[in-house]
Order: sequence, then C-alpha cells, then structure tokens
Amino acid sequence: MLKILDFFDYAKSESLWMAHFCTGCCSLEMAAAMGPRYDWERYGYLPTPTPRQADVLMITGLVSKKILPALLRTYAQMPEPKYVVAMGACSFDGGPYNDSLSVIKNPTEILPADVFIAGCPPKPEAIIEGLEQVKQKIKNGEPSAASQGGLWKEMEF
Amino acid sequence: MENVRKIIENFTCEYVENYKKTWLKAKLSSKDDLLNLSEAIKKEGLRSLSTVSPTDFLEDNIMEMNYFFEDLDTKRNLWLKVDLPRDKEGCKIESLTPLFASANWHEREAFSMFGVQFLNHPDLREIIKSEDFKGVYPFRKDFDWDAHEKNQTQNIQQIVDAFKKEQNENEKDLDPDSSETILNWGPTHPASGPIRLRVHCDGEEVISIDPDIGYVWRALEHLVTKKDFVGAIVAVERLCFMDNINSMVGYCMAVEEIAEVEITPFASWMRVLLGEVARVSSHFMGLGGFFNNMGLHTLGMWNMDTREFFLDFLESYSGARIATASIEPGGVRYGLDMSMFDELQKALDKFDNSVGEVEAVFVKNPTMKLRSDNVGILTKEEVHEFGLSGIVARASGVKTDIRIDEPYAAYGELDLEYITQEKGSAKDRFMMLFLDLKQSVEIIKKAKAHIEKAVADAKMNPTKDHMVKVPKKLPKGEAISRVEWARGEVLMHLVTEEKAKTPYRLKMRAPSFNHTMMLNHLLKGQTLADIPLIFGSLYICQGDLDR
Repeated sequence: MLKILDFFDYAKSESLWMAHFCTGCCSLEMAAAMGPRYDWERYGYLPTPTPRQADVLMITGLVSKKILPALLRTYAQMPEPKYVVAMGACSFDGGPYNDSLSVIKNPTEILPADVFIAGCPPKPEAIIEGLEQVKQKIKNGEPSAASQGGLWKEMEF
Repeated sequence: MENVRKIIENFTCEYVENYKKTWLKAKLSSKDDLLNLSEAIKKEGLRSLSTVSPTDFLEDNIMEMNYFFEDLDTKRNLWLKVDLPRDKEGCKIESLTPLFASANWHEREAFSMFGVQFLNHPDLREIIKSEDFKGVYPFRKDFDWDAHEKNQTQNIQQIVDAFKKEQNENEKDLDPDSSETILNWGPTHPASGPIRLRVHCDGEEVISIDPDIGYVWRALEHLVTKKDFVGAIVAVERLCFMDNINSMVGYCMAVEEIAEVEITPFASWMRVLLGEVARVSSHFMGLGGFFNNMGLHTLGMWNMDTREFFLDFLESYSGARIATASIEPGGVRYGLDMSMFDELQKALDKFDNSVGEVEAVFVKNPTMKLRSDNVGILTKEEVHEFGLSGIVARASGVKTDIRIDEPYAAYGELDLEYITQEKGSAKDRFMMLFLDLKQSVEIIKKAKAHIEKAVADAKMNPTKDHMVKVPKKLPKGEAISRVEWARGEVLMHLVTEEKAKTPYRLKMRAPSFNHTMMLNHLLKGQTLADIPLIFGSLYICQGDLDR
C-alpha cells in the first residue's frame, strides 16, 4: 500500500504545472526559463492558462495591493495538493520596492511559500533549481506551507 | 518656433524662453488663459499633448502645472507652466481633453495623484491607484503614507469590497433579455499580463472597453523621492524590465542637466550600445508576443533563443542579465573590458544567422498578413491626436523618433533614418517592430566598431573614461529629457530643491499609457477574438503603464 502512495507522489512531482499568472517583473525570467536555452519542460514543468489544472502557484515578484485578492482567488481555485513558489526579492520583503507603500511587503506571510527563489530577478537556473526543491518536497510527502497556515485563511477575497 | 512665440506673447506670461534646441518654455500668469492659448497653438500645429505633470510645492502653497505640447511633424515643442493654489477649492483648471484627446488619461492621473480638478473633463474618474486611496491624493507632499498603511488588511478589504460591488452592479443597466454582457479580460488571461479590460460585448461583438489598470502600481514617482540620485536608478530602471537601460539614460540625462555635467564620448557611445541591446531584447519579446497572441509560439521560442545571447553580453558587462543598473548620472557604471565584446559578437553572429529564417517563415507569413492586415488601423491623424509614439506612431507613417528628432548620447553622430510603414494596421506594427529590430542591430554594430576603433587609436580609455563625477548635492533646478524607449517616447521631468540629495519630483511619461488609451477606440465594433491580437500589436507593458 505504501508503495502505491509513493508512486502517486512521484507522479505528481514529475509533472508540475503552474498557473499562468504574472504579478510582477520576474515573469520575464520565467519566460526565459520556458525558452529554448533552459527549457523547463525537460523537467516536466508547464504553464497552464487555468488555475483549475495547476499544481503550483508562482508569485512572480512584486505583489501590489490591488493584485493580491486576484492572487489569493487564483490560489483558492487550484485543486489540492497545491504548492506556492515565491520568486525574487519582492516576494520576500518588497525588495527594491521596500520603501513603496503601494506594494505588499509580506506576501509570503499572507500566502506562505514552500520555496523561495532568491534574486532580482532570479536567473532561470535558479528558478529550475527552486522547482526541483518543490519536487523533492512532494516526493517526501510533506504538506504545503500554505495549507498549514498564513493570513490568507482569515482574509476575505 | 517664432510663430509659437508670437502666439504665447499675446497672453500675459511671467517668462517665455528658449529651452534646448526644439523647446520653448513659458509660464502663464493666469490659469484662465490656458484654454485660449492651447486652442491657438493647436491651430499652429502643436497637436499632441504629451503629458500633464503637476508639481506640489508645499512651502509656497502652489500646485504648478506643467503641460508638454508636441508637434510630431515639425519637431516643435512647448513646455507650458501655470500656477494653481494648493487648497481643495482653488485647485481647479480647465480640462484640455476636449481639445487634445491625449490629455484624457493624463488628466485623470493628475487628478488621482494630486487632486487637481479638471473642469469639463468628460470622464474624470480615478485611475491607477488602488481603491483604498479613493478620495485621498497620495502624491501630495503632505499625504501621510505611514498612517495610511497602518492597517494593511483593512486597505485590502476595501479593494476586495470595491471589486465585488463592481461585479454585482456592472450589469444592472443592461437589458436582461439581450445577449449583452460584461466580460473581465484579465488579470489572469495568459495574453493580458496584470491588466483587466472590462469588455462590454454583445455576443461576439465588442461594444466598448474600459481598461482597469494599476495592478502593478508601485508608485515609482514617489519612490524615487525617498532615494538619493544614484539610488533612484533602481526605481527608474524598473519602469519596465524589458528595456530598462533607456529609461535610466533618460533619468541620468535630466540629472546631468541640472548638475551641469558633460559625460565623456566613451560613456555616450556605451549608452547607445547598451540602450540598443536592451531595445533588441525587448523587441524580441514583442515580436514573439504578437505571434503568441495569435496562437503560434514558435517565433517566441526562436526569439528567446537569440535574445539569450544579447543578455549574455549584458551579464558579462554588468553581472546581471536584466536588472543591470548600469547607467548612472555621470556616465555608465562600469568600465569595459574589451573581451566583453566577444560575447556581443557571438550575439550579433547568432542574429545574422537566424534573421533570414525568421523573415522567411514569420514576417512574410501569408496567414499572419491575412489575419492582421485589416484590424486595428490607426490613421496618421489619430497618432497626432492621441500623442502616440514609437513603433505605433511610425507604423502609421508618422516620422517621429527621438533619436533623430532630439539626438541624445551619441545618436547625433550616427546617420539614422526614419523607418515607417503606411497603413497603421496590426500587421504594420509587427513589421515596424521587425524593421526597428534590424535597425537597432545595425546601430549596435556601428557603435561597437566606433568604440573598438577609438580604443585602438587610444582616443578612449575603456576602463577610466566611463564616469565623470557628479556632485552628491544638486542645485535647485528642473529639467526634462526625452529618450526613444523600446515602446516609444519617455519624457522625464525632474525637479530638485536647493542642495538636494533626493529628487523632489520625477514625472515619467510612459508610452504604454497612451497606447492603452487607444484600446477602446480600436476595438469598438470588433470581435472578442481581435482583443489579444490588437492588444499584442500595441506592444504594451504593464510596468510603464502603471509605474
């Protein structure tokens, strides 16, 4: 029985689809990671236009106040199990926009991320490495961070 | 220019002076004259209003309005100022939107950020800023951001409530028996990026479009006032990541003008070279995006492949692929190791080897032509009326290119020619992008050869000539600078105070703002399937749309 469960985790982890949702500038490097040189499809990643088919939500950089409700709604529309990857300095503490008060400085307190990818913007290699860590997390059977807590559970969106 | 001066001198002015080669700068004594003066100069030929930029002088209790008029044909420009009182009752001025259609959104922006009331504006709603700022004016100097931000959750709740209210009410005026509906196109549509179009449609037919923008609003114009003059480039380059070099060039030119600093020839040639590399990498994405929106991803992939080589050069030069922060007031940030040009040569070779194939398969593609040659047509007249610029304007046959009109950096030494198309359809804008791309690569080759020759002749020192010193404190002053950005004209208006360490006010006029204004105009009466195509052809970036 245990072995069959392991197989499902393996299968899930090897075809990660992410919701096609750009919140900020880092999506440009995400596009580069899709491109021929880095070609993340080799690893089983694919952007999908609808959250209903997605396994991973990528916070691509800055999250402004206005787009946060849309981000949370997209997350809520994704089927379980679902994971969150935070890209770039902005998703950690606002990054270069830390002084700007129209940008949310703690997006991952609101929607906790499983993996942080550092950089401004992160290089495509780093993005792929980050997604590999998500794979590992799924293979280990660990639950996602956002399912454990986060301010998003108390918010209306 | 003399005619314009004569017209202005008919009105009472505090001063009228020449500014740069193509500009006239004047300040009106009374705001009541604005409408008459604008009408007169419109007749004279200055038909486009580039932007409206208020500056808030808290101590003098004055709201200074700046209007930038342009004539795209004869290259005459006018910078017109007029003072308004700051208080709520007095901060009112006649709207120019009935005369200049391009003023529409710019006046709405000035209203949202500074609370300037425009009388007789047809549609004075707030724009860009999120719902929690409703009724308050965040760019006024006495606005307390920290107090506003104390309760973030409540602010977000306000945005959510406003959105829900809109969704509940937006169809209440529609006839329930008809097939009319209001669609949200975005912000999660794969072709849209973070923008939402409220599409009022009847079945397939689009009746009207009302763009809802501000999803990536970072208040950059406010952010720079918290940084020093060098630190501000980090905010300025994030105007849009696709072409970040040229926006930094524009900002640095304005700082250098106030500081009265001349940069070295090496630095100005490097600005040309780096700027064109950024333009090329942006155009690659634009070309790919156009075909992506039609459903064919191959060109996007091919372009991404070539683009990587250009980014390799930027990485070898600055250490970063995209956020290079490599243009600084006083020149360029880093010296050049001549071996870095090897990376650039690889990119140029790659481009030369692949451009023929792209041209044969995609640019001459008959299906693309059939689909896009008759949609999204912009006439010459509309380009003038709505103040469009860049490839969108040139696709309609208007000869405008800041690199030629008002040469900056080393563009004056290059022999450039206007590249234009005739019809102004979506296909022409795509063609324009491709031709612009080819021209940019030619400029890179020339700049590279020039630098190599000058270094070989020991006329330039690539490791020492890159910077001249710019004082940390700037005198009181103001300057404007214009650059030809990948998407069109960027106008920067910088104001400094006495012994300033930070910019007092920086206005960035970004081209996508005007181009997004055109969506309703272009898509009225078209079908839903045309939205991604026309949207893609306008080459809009949300970064500079919202700032």
